[in-house]
Amino acid sequence: MSYLEIKNLEISFPTPKGKYTAVRDINLSIEKGEIISIIGHSGCGKSTIMNAISGMTIPTGGSVELMGKTIKGPGPDRGVVFQNYSLLPWMTVYQNIYQAVDAVMKVSKKEKNEIVLSNLEMVNLMQHKDKLPGQLSGGMKQRVAIARAFAINPGVLLLDEPFGALDALTKGTMQLELLKMWNLSGRDKTIIMITHDIEEAIFLSDRIIVMNDGPASTIREIEHVHLERPRNKIEFVKTEEYITLRDRLLHLLTDKFSVEDMGIVYKK
Amino acid sequence: MSTDTLEKESKTKEAVKEVVNNSESSGKTKIFLSKLLAVGKSILFACIGLLLFGGFWSFMSSYTENQLPGPEATLTVLGEMLADPFYDYGPNDKGIGLQLFSSITTVLSGFLLGSLIAIPVGILMGASKIGKQIFYPIIQLLKPVSPLAWFPIGLVVFEDTGMATIFIVFITSLWSTLINTAFGVSSIPQDHKNVAKAFGFSTWRYLRKILIPYSLPHIITGLRLSIGVAWLVIVAGEMLSGGAGIGFFVWDSWNALSLEKVISAIIIIGIVGLLFDKLFTLIENKVSYKA
Ligand SMILES: Nc1ncnc2c1ncn2[C@@H]1O[C@H](COP(=O)(O)OP(=O)(O)O)[C@@H](O)[C@H]1O
Ligand SMILES: [Mg+2]
Repeated sequence: MSYLEIKNLEISFPTPKGKYTAVRDINLSIEKGEIISIIGHSGCGKSTIMNAISGMTIPTGGSVELMGKTIKGPGPDRGVVFQNYSLLPWMTVYQNIYQAVDAVMKVSKKEKNEIVLSNLEMVNLMQHKDKLPGQLSGGMKQRVAIARAFAINPGVLLLDEPFGALDALTKGTMQLELLKMWNLSGRDKTIIMITHDIEEAIFLSDRIIVMNDGPASTIREIEHVHLERPRNKIEFVKTEEYITLRDRLLHLLTDKFSVEDMGIVYKK
Repeated sequence: MSTDTLEKESKTKEAVKEVVNNSESSGKTKIFLSKLLAVGKSILFACIGLLLFGGFWSFMSSYTENQLPGPEATLTVLGEMLADPFYDYGPNDKGIGLQLFSSITTVLSGFLLGSLIAIPVGILMGASKIGKQIFYPIIQLLKPVSPLAWFPIGLVVFEDTGMATIFIVFITSLWSTLINTAFGVSSIPQDHKNVAKAFGFSTWRYLRKILIPYSLPHIITGLRLSIGVAWLVIVAGEMLSGGAGIGFFVWDSWNALSLEKVISAIIIIGIVGLLFDKLFTLIENKVSYKA
């Protein structure tokens, strides 16, 4: 049995027009230390699956099991990085992390302080620890959110479009930061992330889950990424494996690749 | 590598700072001058408004052949009142300062008691559907009732006019605070609640670190509106209860046919009301975080 098992997962929501099934028949086994990306069109149910793993949503069918135990709610064994950072705007960077650590960890005050500081160090935000989130850039806020999730030392990290709002350069740095932290923690943290970025998915993941469109969407295909780690951001895009995978994913996610595919006659 | 970029970043920032520093002194004086100008302007306009009002008042005074005392006569009496505000010649003859003190004490007692009830109940209403379903109908029913209508009930329950006055202030102080608190709490964004849920915040931590900080500006707005209405009501309440306070003073002066005193009291009531409002606006600005 795997570390994290999703079995026949189905999630529906009651709506005024009746039951709306967001996802169904989701079956997935994830090993400890794996990095998994979920990719798919907007509204296909990626966040819904994520919420089922984090325990924020209770499945209407099937189950999610972590180390053999069915997930019934949020817990300190899973750290969540929300799509929109979700920092508390009235608290300093330090406090945002401290409150999470204080709520979850059963250690002395001194140790909590050390945990917060070492995680701030890890994301290079030490000199900004007394700032309010409103004074930070998007990339910095994202780093705080990641530090907060890491600080509670969870076995599973859940990242919902973590770098979606960042510019390409910051995004590249953040991807490396994430891998750095994964490495520093002995590569035994399981990371599940949602992304829209094919290159990002290939660069980071061991496996990429491609979703069908909703309603009642299912897993369309699972791609294995066989690239050696550490991967080099410049070199990996030149590999055969990358090019094949990228084409495959593009084909799965889009059906038009040029204006001619859109029925337009292109004049030379 | 990212420490490297950070270092570069701070270096460029310093360079920018130096450039700014060179032109800073002239820039600062400019900003100061333009601020001064703005303040001067607003004072000027306020004075124009006051003058217009004074003119209208004088006109009304001469129109009623000084039945209504003019600004000059009133200000003279006001000056006399303020010259000796704390004299005490027995229960029916006290200085304006003592009356004002009595009114403010009554308002603050009623307001404090009301807020102590209104804030927790408002939080309950905002945080739970059931809480809202329990309390909202009562509030809708009782809120439109004139606070003075509660006076007889206060008299029966407490058998004391002073307590009855505090009681009507108490009732008055409830509504705005209740409604604003409930609104503030019910509008806490899902994002903030998700943080509490995902990181397993206890109810106590949620209350202290999310609910209160988020809704505090709304609560203070409620308190500001409440004390405003409470101050409105106290004057009428003390006219009913008699014995003490600025409302009693107005009524007593009217019976003594001293309209100068009545108008002076009105001016003082206005100023105290304004000060209450300013005080709470100040607190409001202090507690609202900049998102
Ligand atoms: N609480 C909810 N109530 C009703 N419908 C929901 C709810 N949450 C999500 N949905 C619907 O489920 C579908 C999947 O949503 P989501 O998982 O957020 O998609 P995405 O893949 O973009 O993250 C969407 O059609 C969305 O409208
Ligand atoms: Mg989503």
